Amino acid sequence: MSTAALPPLDFVFRRATKRTRDIFASCPDEGLGDEEKSARMRLAVKINDEYRDYKQLPGPLLAKQGLIGPSAPKQLSQKMITAGPGTTDTSRLVAQIDNTPTPQPSTFTSSTQLSQALTLHKTTRTIKPTYHPPWKLSRVISGHLGWVRSVAVEPGNQWFATGAGDRVIKVWDLASGELKLSLTGHISTVRGLAVSSRHPYLFSCGEDKMVKCWDLEANKVIRHYHGHLSGVYSLSLHPTLDVLVTAGRDASARVWDMRTKAQIHVLAGHTATVADVKCQESDPQVITGSMDSTIRLWDLAAGKTMVTLTHHKKSVRALAIHPTEYSFASGSAGGNNIKKWKCPEGTFVFNFGGHNAIINTLSVNAEGVFFSGGDNGTLSLWDYDTGIAFQNMEDVPQPGSLEAEAGVFCSTFDVTGTRLITGGADKTIKVYSEQSQ
Amino acid sequence: MATLAALLPNPVHAPTVSDDEEDEIVQQPQAAAPSLSIISRGVVPSYGQRAGWKPASQDDFGDGGSFPECHVAQYPLEMGKKKASSGNTLALQVDSEGNVRYDAIAHQGQRAGKIVQSQFKDLVPLQHRKDLDDEARNMERPSEDEVQATADKTRAALEKLVNGKIKAAQPKNIPDGQGKTSFIRYTPGQQNGSQGLNQRIIKMSEIVEDPLEPPRFKHKKIPRGPPSPPPPVLRSPPRKATAVEQKEWMIPPCISNWKNNKGFTIPLDKRLAADGRGLQDVHINDNFAKFSEALYIADRHAREEVRQRALMQQKVAQKEKEAKEENLRLLAQRAREERGGIAPKPTAASRAAMTSKLADYGSDSGSGSGSEAGSDDDAEDEDARQIRDQMRQEKRREREREMRMNNMGTEQRAKMLARQQNRDISEKIALGLAKPTTSKESMLDSRLFNQESLSGNFADEESYNLYDKPLFHGSTAAAAIYKARGNIEEGNEESFGGGTDEGIGKALDNDRFGLGRAKVGFEGANDQEVREGPVQFEKDTGDVFGLDQFLDEAKSGKKRGLDTEVGNSRKRRQLENAEKD
Repeated sequence: MSTAALPPLDFVFRRATKRTRDIFASCPDEGLGDEEKSARMRLAVKINDEYRDYKQLPGPLLAKQGLIGPSAPKQLSQKMITAGPGTTDTSRLVAQIDNTPTPQPSTFTSSTQLSQALTLHKTTRTIKPTYHPPWKLSRVISGHLGWVRSVAVEPGNQWFATGAGDRVIKVWDLASGELKLSLTGHISTVRGLAVSSRHPYLFSCGEDKMVKCWDLEANKVIRHYHGHLSGVYSLSLHPTLDVLVTAGRDASARVWDMRTKAQIHVLAGHTATVADVKCQESDPQVITGSMDSTIRLWDLAAGKTMVTLTHHKKSVRALAIHPTEYSFASGSAGGNNIKKWKCPEGTFVFNFGGHNAIINTLSVNAEGVFFSGGDNGTLSLWDYDTGIAFQNMEDVPQPGSLEAEAGVFCSTFDVTGTRLITGGADKTIKVYSEQSQ
Repeated sequence: MATLAALLPNPVHAPTVSDDEEDEIVQQPQAAAPSLSIISRGVVPSYGQRAGWKPASQDDFGDGGSFPECHVAQYPLEMGKKKASSGNTLALQVDSEGNVRYDAIAHQGQRAGKIVQSQFKDLVPLQHRKDLDDEARNMERPSEDEVQATADKTRAALEKLVNGKIKAAQPKNIPDGQGKTSFIRYTPGQQNGSQGLNQRIIKMSEIVEDPLEPPRFKHKKIPRGPPSPPPPVLRSPPRKATAVEQKEWMIPPCISNWKNNKGFTIPLDKRLAADGRGLQDVHINDNFAKFSEALYIADRHAREEVRQRALMQQKVAQKEKEAKEENLRLLAQRAREERGGIAPKPTAASRAAMTSKLADYGSDSGSGSGSEAGSDDDAEDEDARQIRDQMRQEKRREREREMRMNNMGTEQRAKMLARQQNRDISEKIALGLAKPTTSKESMLDSRLFNQESLSGNFADEESYNLYDKPLFHGSTAAAAIYKARGNIEEGNEESFGGGTDEGIGKALDNDRFGLGRAKVGFEGANDQEVREGPVQFEKDTGDVFGLDQFLDEAKSGKKRGLDTEVGNSRKRRQLENAEKD
């Protein structure tokens, strides 16, 4: 009997097993499950054999981590050796097997106060931002011949005024965007504008050291507030008193009596140009931000500093006071450059993070929409309560302007808070409006 | 014993505690109720128990002196203690939780109400701060009442300031003059014997002040007080700029093609970049090419046309010339035939043609004679021949001249042309006809004349000093011009001293006959100064028109009407004349 005469056995075997499976297909199968269990066991044993030493960080490393302090909350789930992106059966098996609870690092087992504080932080940081509809550029007004450096909206919300590097103050209709009036008189850039809500007066200040009071019934200058030693960069009206505060390059803010033109106070203390000044009705009634990278909160009655805030690293160019909340925000250059402060004592509230530019202007409206405009033309809109940006935009300079002329210098919301007026280095005034459904 | 003491009520009058007895009673309540002992004034341990105890305050000393058994510095009744304000070191302060307040120095010397943020907690966001409750996190605006209160308070403070500032401008503040006088009865306190001066009445009034008087004392500027201490800085120090950042901030130096004050060597590519020529590619409008193409085509077209026209004209001229030659040939042939005697009677047509041809040559008489040839032939023939001969001669002369012209050299031809155009004046010069143009500008060369007077005085237009100096005064030009040159050329050189000034002077001085200098020359010539230039005229100040005399008369008050006889005589003469007529 020769083996060569027989047919190959493999084929026969395969056919036999197929037939068996067909026969027993209806029956519940136990053998396969058994096989899987054994495979798991085998894998577990293998993993344990091979990777036992690497399940935890080596001792010195762990000790070092413990010395430094708690790891960031992101790293709480400790990285284990897991499968790669491939979806093979074995990798899924490994993932299923490895469900042992991750051993906590030693720092967490000893429950210090710091770790408790950190867990507290996690719980307290759960304020949800309110929804704000997006904002869209709705109008570009090109009428100035220089950088538009200041803008102010009239309390009646009928018109707004802009001051520019062409030394002219222009008054525009808010609804139609038409030019209503041009006021000439400054001999240098107009840096600050304010319209009084209790008088028919427009106040303006400029780099020519002049602070002017315009009578809007005659469209003439009726008063000059003389005394600044250098360019006046900012101006603010007191909401309840007949008092005007100007600040400028002579590192001082000056408080003027509106009617008598007398200089009531010189708020001295800054060591560099005061870039912005804001007034509010309750203490601190005057807030100044300066190029010496400090913010000062002033006691207006005494003319003295109440608090000096030194948190900013670069010069503070912009301030914004919330109309209804008892807080204000300040902006400077660099990272973590917009900060919110609680008002009477200037407590630090939080940072508006993510706008990496020189902040030239800040505005906030009553709905809690907070706007920051950068020197490189980046615009950000934030939720004022939580400090979360909900919209980031780029300023598009008008055609014909240089690449570097995409900066935003001034901004203001109108009285209703539904439109945002900005003035930029491309010599235009841009009106953004809320996109309501 | 202790239980009994606890049960019994406290004695109304505390017994005087002696130093050496009942120390347990004193110390026991401390152990039992520590709160009481802390609140109550520290009790001094009795003598012998004071190991480790230190007097802390003045109360511990009671009224007595120091405790010698406590080895610390003690100052009962502050005796011998140095004043604390001598140094500027601060005492170490501790807060309620026992932490050292390192920021005490930041709060030192600040005003009372000032908030100084000096701790790490001031850097922590408000939500994450543990030391604050929800009330402190609340950011409600103050109520209207509070705002009103703040406004009133501030307004009061500011109004006070403003009133102080504008007091100078208010009119009621003018000091009143001498109106205020008061009388004071004065009784001297020390009346040492003198009886006469018991009482005096003193009148007191203010000194009148000039309101416009400048201040008598110099207003000195008081130097500013020291500034408040700087606040603690709650930010990390500025980072050093990295190399990348520095590179980002690198501003390339300005390269100008026009200025290089420091004289740096600037590479050529930088110069080209500064030039800005390479920055924009030159874009030439297509229309330029179209325009030049059109111009070129039009130009060629026009040239072609002109050439064609010239060709045509040439052809026409050639044809005309041929016709003329033909005519002449005919004429000549006829003449030859006539001379030969075989003159065929010209037909009327041919005659008419011939006369017209002859008329072309401009001889009216010929044509006229030709028409009347029928009556007297011979005479007419003679005339015609003469004319023909003349014409022929002229022709020949012309031809000769042309030939000569053709054979002439270029220079001669140029001369010829010049002569034709009246440019050659050599003949005219030879004939003495040529005269230079007499233009003033070209004749006078200002360099010859007195330069300093000209150049110095032409500059200012205000001064009218053009004629205040003689024209040729003391200049070499004047000497050169003013020269007696009468007959130097024909006579000898010696006569008139060679014609020069010094020669003449020498000749005059040369006393040939030994007569000495003439004592008396011409009368009136002595007081005339020696002339060294041309004759100069002085302004005549004399009364030429009798104006001065007239004015004198007018001043003297002589009336014109007084010389009546002159006026009368004239009138009479006029009347006589009228009668005669």
